[in-house]
Amino acid sequence: MKAGTSMTESLNLTVDRRDGLAVIYTEGYINNQGGEEIARAAYKLLDEGFKVLLLNLAGTKIVNSIGISILIEIIEKMIEINGKLGFCCLTPTIDKTFHIMGLAQYAPIFDTEERALAELGELGELGGHRG
Amino acid sequence: MRNLASSASSAAIEAEVTSAGSSAVSLPPEAWRELLALSQDESADRALLERLLDHWRFAHGAAFAAVYLEREGRLELEVASPSAGFAGARWLPGMNGSEAPPPALEAAAASAAALEGSDPGVLTFPGGCLLVSPRPPAAVNQETAANPETAVNPEGEAGAPGIEHGPLPLLLLSSLKILRLRQEIKDQQFQVNYRVVELESLYDVGLAVAATLDLEKLSEEILLRAVSLLDARRGALYILEGSRYRLQRTFGGDAAPWYDSGGAEGEEIPETPEGRKLRAFLAGESPAPPSELLPGARYLLGVPIDIDGSPRGLLAVGDKESRRGVGPFPASDRRTLGLFANQAAIALENARLHLQALEKERLEREMQLAADIQRRILPRGAPEVPGYELIGWNRPARQIGGDYYDLFQRQDGRVDLVVGDVSGKGMPAALMVSTLHSALHLLLDQVGVGPALLEMLNRHVFESSTSNKFITLLLAELEPASGRLTYLNAGHNPALLLRHGAEAPPDVAVAGAAPASDAVKVEELGASGLPIGVLSGSRFQARGIILEPGDLLCIYSDGITEAESPDDEEFGTARLLALLREHRRRPLAEVLEAIQNATGSFSAGLPQGDDQTLVLLRRRLA
Repeated sequence: MKAGTSMTESLNLTVDRRDGLAVIYTEGYINNQGGEEIARAAYKLLDEGFKVLLLNLAGTKIVNSIGISILIEIIEKMIEINGKLGFCCLTPTIDKTFHIMGLAQYAPIFDTEERALAELGELGELGGHRG
Repeated sequence: MRNLASSASSAAIEAEVTSAGSSAVSLPPEAWRELLALSQDESADRALLERLLDHWRFAHGAAFAAVYLEREGRLELEVASPSAGFAGARWLPGMNGSEAPPPALEAAAASAAALEGSDPGVLTFPGGCLLVSPRPPAAVNQETAANPETAVNPEGEAGAPGIEHGPLPLLLLSSLKILRLRQEIKDQQFQVNYRVVELESLYDVGLAVAATLDLEKLSEEILLRAVSLLDARRGALYILEGSRYRLQRTFGGDAAPWYDSGGAEGEEIPETPEGRKLRAFLAGESPAPPSELLPGARYLLGVPIDIDGSPRGLLAVGDKESRRGVGPFPASDRRTLGLFANQAAIALENARLHLQALEKERLEREMQLAADIQRRILPRGAPEVPGYELIGWNRPARQIGGDYYDLFQRQDGRVDLVVGDVSGKGMPAALMVSTLHSALHLLLDQVGVGPALLEMLNRHVFESSTSNKFITLLLAELEPASGRLTYLNAGHNPALLLRHGAEAPPDVAVAGAAPASDAVKVEELGASGLPIGVLSGSRFQARGIILEPGDLLCIYSDGITEAESPDDEEFGTARLLALLREHRRRPLAEVLEAIQNATGSFSAGLPQGDDQTLVLLRRRLA
């Protein structure tokens, strides 16, 4: 057993701009700071004209209530502009949390990125993103 | 969820308002119909607010207007008009319950990017404010509202600037109030949902604890859930090892690998300054944490991980997050953290019990292995000696025992018989048996049966064993042709020799023995020296007898004669002797069986208290 195993706190983001949609990959804690970083990245993508976003949380094991509230704000923003936000690759814990907190009601959750891209990609094409 | 339901453009509104006049808010019927439609749509609260703000802004000829609502002690931008392009700050300093805009708010309004170069005004209302640029005449000339709830701000009243009379401001404030109420409901629903997440999380941790014994995995699970549910930025889980806490898992930053409360090995949190500090911190009596825990964290909350009141570790989280930064943990978080600590305690106890079970299993495997080795040390059968019957038997009280016997025939035809009894039981005794077996065989080859052998064996055992270990031993060597039996008895039970056809003299008769009609002469092959290993310089004496045809020799260990009944009575030599007398003409296997059955019946199912060994030798009748 490794003694004193440490887990990182900061969130790392990478963005993959594709035809019709953009994928945001997260790695780390979605808390206040992490949530704000995601929001900044998402709003920047909206400004660029992307109306369909996918958040791939494969690298995230933990999210707190502040992070969830920020994600809800992003979802609300997406609804306001008639866009769409999806999640994929959630841990079972985060998946359950998102369902209880109501996020899943407004933002679809996919097991894999492939499925998410297949479904959200069509929306992106319909939305006519200039990507 | 918010929903934009805009239909009219800003330009259209401007035209409507302009036509109606800049100060008199008189909207055309289409505008009222739109506002009415939006007010009836639950999802259009924000759109309604934006539209009302648009009307208000144009009515006052303002370039920009923005509504800020008070949230978590500061003001957050709710809506702006025009909705696109407003570059003002998202957050402004809070009003701290004041109805008048504090200087900081005025300064923030003035410095907001969208309002630069103009004369911005701040109009307050309960729970928020309206920034407008340029400052409306009403705000310049009028003073604050006497009744902010109704947004009335009559001319000439003293106070901070507020929103003026008229149906539009009233609608604007009503819309804001609805929005605020909806936000409060939403926040409360969020809290309720998050409470469900907390309960589900505890339930899931409970399941995980029951499903796995992987302490590392469980530590991570418990720590991550505690950190996330308490909105902590950092966390650490320590496990008590001896007197020190070992860091098992940390999150969000470094923590000391060990925390020493200054106690002795196995001591609970000690009465040292550091120990008292730790105890007070874990009990929530002192906010000051021990210095090494989560260094750099500004706010800490810690609880003990206890099992039946005995400390096993501690769980600590640091820096409670909010949208404004980090702060202290409320008292209610101690209870939540304590629930996670309880789960950690169960996981630790399960892991400990599991390790204990594994250790027990390992020991049992080793004991079984030792028992197999010991069985191989003991003879598998007795040698065939013409003119004699010979049988040996051993039954250890546990898996492995401290009794030893051996029967083997040399190349010249002589037969060696050994019965030994090592003091104690279990593994230590079994190891001595192994030592005895090896040394005895080596010495028999080198020096043969005699005092020299036992003296050398004695020195070897004395030097290689602990002070309380010794061996009683009866070693005999038979010359089959002559019937001569040479023996040495090192503190062992006297062997019993039943002479064939000879009546017992009165002084040898034993109480409880067979009736006189069946009496036989019994001789005892008693001790001729101390047990092996008692003194380094012990001396031993060899004695000899002649086995006549029909004579029966019984060498046994005290596990036979000291077998106990439920009444704590010992089986005794008399009963053994009686059995030997009764069955002395029967085949030796039957004699052995009779003794086994008799001791078993005597003990009436009680666990065997000591190892039992028996060697029987009879010279056949010619």
